[in-house]
Amino acid sequence: MTKEAVIEVIKKNIAANSDDIDAAGIDPQKSMKDYGANSLDMIEVVSTSMRELKIKVPRSELTDINNIDQLADKFLEYVNKGNG
Amino acid sequence: MADKALSYSLADFFFNDSPDVLTPPSDFQSWIENPNVQSAMRFFGQQLLAAPRAGTEVLSSIDGSRRKVINMTSYNYLGLSSHPEVIQAAKDALDRYGLGASGAPLLSGTFDLHVEFARRLAEFKQKEDCLLYSSGLGGNVGAIQGLLRKGDYLVLDEKCHKSLVDGGTLSMAKMLFFSHNDPSSLEAMLEKCKGKRVLVAFEGVYSMDGDLVRLPEILKVCEHYKAATYIDEAHSTLMFGPNGRGVAEHFGLEHEMGVSFGTLSKSFGGVGGFVCSNARIIAYLKGYSSPWNFSCAPSPPVVAGAMKALEVATRDSTLRDALWKNVAYLKKGLLDLKLDLGQSESQVIPIIIGSSGEKLFQFAWEIQKRGLFLQPVDFPAVPADSRRFRISVSSQFTREQMDTALTIIEDVIAKGLRA
Repeated sequence: MTKEAVIEVIKKNIAANSDDIDAAGIDPQKSMKDYGANSLDMIEVVSTSMRELKIKVPRSELTDINNIDQLADKFLEYVNKGNG
Repeated sequence: MADKALSYSLADFFFNDSPDVLTPPSDFQSWIENPNVQSAMRFFGQQLLAAPRAGTEVLSSIDGSRRKVINMTSYNYLGLSSHPEVIQAAKDALDRYGLGASGAPLLSGTFDLHVEFARRLAEFKQKEDCLLYSSGLGGNVGAIQGLLRKGDYLVLDEKCHKSLVDGGTLSMAKMLFFSHNDPSSLEAMLEKCKGKRVLVAFEGVYSMDGDLVRLPEILKVCEHYKAATYIDEAHSTLMFGPNGRGVAEHFGLEHEMGVSFGTLSKSFGGVGGFVCSNARIIAYLKGYSSPWNFSCAPSPPVVAGAMKALEVATRDSTLRDALWKNVAYLKKGLLDLKLDLGQSESQVIPIIIGSSGEKLFQFAWEIQKRGLFLQPVDFPAVPADSRRFRISVSSQFTREQMDTALTIIEDVIAKGLRA
């Protein structure tokens, strides 16, 4: 799986979790917070994305993630090693 | 996952992939049965065998033995849970009214005791009226759920208690979180909900860090945006302010608070919650706050005991003076040990260990073995890089108990962190 594909999964779930965001307009260099997501929204997006990617990244490894691009890197690391 | 089980936490199993609702997530069972996780979990839910006084006894889960301990974990900040006058008032009420209220408040659950205590709490908090809840969590959930509707906004400090978040979820209001105690972040959030009905929620003392709300600055922003305010004084009522009315009184701003919430389980030494505000909104909440009108009213002996606790704690400043003297003594001792106490300004004093879950639980084991009941606080309750112990100071601590505790903390935590 490519990083672009991982980003698409995340973008799709951000859009699905919000009434007024279009996936195409999401910039990976921004954080979910920039798109109005609160911490509960972020848990939802991260969980649904991990479920779709069939990975399980400990939440404790996500505390330093600052934007969607970094989240995709972390997800890709787990996709490539075949889950946690 | 087995090789790094302690990297995972309860935060990782919230969403359940199992097709059967009555079966936990497939990997939850293997995680919870992992020996390292089992070892960490032993600290939670340990049994106290006596009242939560400064000196008590626990059935220690670490080795199954009964152990006399210095208790620095219970919320019994003023020692009122076992104060002789409080116990007597509860006993008298038990004889007169029995154990339970046997009804919801609107039907048969309202006793003269409930009405009198609510009146006294409203007067104490300088508000027009008050609702009593059987639980503190229920009070926050019920007030928020009763006040807000879909289309409204709940703007919370990011360190607010789960009960406020759960109330927001149940209300269907849109929730926005502002960075902890940051007026400019609050301003940015309030910009997003201009023209809407908005409630801003914050706490007097934040329960995991012990710092105070920056009330003058936060309030200034709320007033600019004409947002209603909700202060949760669970960890500050009876302790802060010239009359013990809380952090809002401490800042001289209690009349500016739209809603003042408190619990009866901490400094009051009982269990329950109360919501004080203007009489019209309290009358409205009686119709729409489910944890109030769909729950049995608070137990009469608990109400009588808590009402006596209010009297004992406010007839003079003896108990809170003793508390602050102990806070100053312990804090100085801990700072002399060069420990990281975060930004604590209250009787809640964290000792921040850092990111190592292994160290946290190793220290916890040693501490308890030495006779100090001081529970570890792990991620996700606190950030993964600031796992900690959290001291709840009590007015009941003797100098000897504090010195013994400081010696244990020095030997185990201070030396352990330097090793």
